Amino acid sequence: MDYLVVAVVAGLAAVERKGFLQAMLARPVALAPITGLVLGDLPGGLLIGPPLELLWLGAVNMGASLPPNEALGTVAITAGAVLAGQALGTGVTPAIAALAIALVGVMATVGRSTDRAIEEWNVRLAARAEALLSRGMPRAAVRTNLYGLLLPFAVSALLAPAAAAIAVWVIPGVLHGIPAAAAPLGYGWAALTGVAAAAGARAFRSQRGIGLFAGAAALTLAVGRLAGGIR
Amino acid sequence: MQNLGFAYAIDPALRRLYADPGQRSEALRRHLATFNCHPYTAAAIVGGAIHHEELVAAGEEPPGAPFEYKQVLQGPLAAVGDGFFWAGLRPFFGALAAVGALLLGWPALVAALLLYNALSLWLRWTLFRAGYRAGDDVVLRLASLSLPAWAARLRDGGAVLAGVGAGILALFATGRLGIAAGVLTIAAAAAGGAALWLRARLLPAAYVALALGTAVGILAVRFPGGR
Repeated sequence: MDYLVVAVVAGLAAVERKGFLQAMLARPVALAPITGLVLGDLPGGLLIGPPLELLWLGAVNMGASLPPNEALGTVAITAGAVLAGQALGTGVTPAIAALAIALVGVMATVGRSTDRAIEEWNVRLAARAEALLSRGMPRAAVRTNLYGLLLPFAVSALLAPAAAAIAVWVIPGVLHGIPAAAAPLGYGWAALTGVAAAAGARAFRSQRGIGLFAGAAALTLAVGRLAGGIR
Repeated sequence: MQNLGFAYAIDPALRRLYADPGQRSEALRRHLATFNCHPYTAAAIVGGAIHHEELVAAGEEPPGAPFEYKQVLQGPLAAVGDGFFWAGLRPFFGALAAVGALLLGWPALVAALLLYNALSLWLRWTLFRAGYRAGDDVVLRLASLSLPAWAARLRDGGAVLAGVGAGILALFATGRLGIAAGVLTIAAAAAGGAALWLRARLLPAAYVALALGTAVGILAVRFPGGR
């Protein structure tokens, strides 16, 4: 049942991302908590979403370039981490999040390849619409647009649960087999979030970006330390 | 595929303008020609195309006018949309939502998304209305919004937010694992940032950070100060 829910969330995210609404619901910062919520672990989704958003802040469809499919990657990572956390009885920890990204983060790249294939396939729909118009069926021709959303839905609905299943299969085995790995993996997660923040800054391509990023980070650390830190 | 989306968007207007099915099919065929623009700024072209279709239906313009209008404007408006919405507004709100979620949890995240959507929907409606009312003069209306200047401010603001995010994430790591993890987060941000500015690929850089961070973690737990 959980994997069916993951499939539906991933499919709807694929439609929202490029076809309907485009209201940021398929961005990692929203999609990870949504995935966590529907699987019963909102805090787990909130742990993963912000770093993934910063990591993929530059994943935008400009001109003919295709970005990584951050929505597919996010659902696969979050679902894998949440379900693995539930299997372990710990919820999502930084170690589980780190392993989930290591195992299925590549789905974002796989998703870019499938996006390209889908775009090429969907070109046929325009020819179909022209044919319907020539046969005097304008309403059917216009509705052809909606069929273009089916393939992204189906591909994401298949890939995301499959990838999550891999994470659920591997992560409990690793953390049960090597319990001492949890703390070092927590450090790995810390390093990954640092790179994610830097990637976020770079995505803005601001001329003063490096200075603003470094200054804001230093100021936040100073204020945070004065306030007694964050837990 | 955007030609199909455009035809889908303009079809309700064409149904009102052309009672004759043959004329409507002909108009629809005009909008099935190749079209490529930014999905938000395309609203201005939909509005402008309806403006021109009204003139065509009234016999005041030749049937090719809406097509020419779209051909001329789709490129420039795509550039404006990419620069403002995709490289400025949306990543800014993405970073804002991320920082809000880290500090305050889901309420801040929901607030940031609501604000983004209120603003972007208002801008999309404004662009549609400007295209519909102004027709060819939509470019002047668009210029009055000063979107490139706003985009530059949003990009600076976004870099600041990413820096705030880095600081918060380092403080989280310190709180969970000790000062070494916080230092590691900042070191990774500096090293990763340098690598990315030198055009390293994103996902490999993230995997390298994960691997090196874990290796540092193995060392850190063996020495006092780690955990």
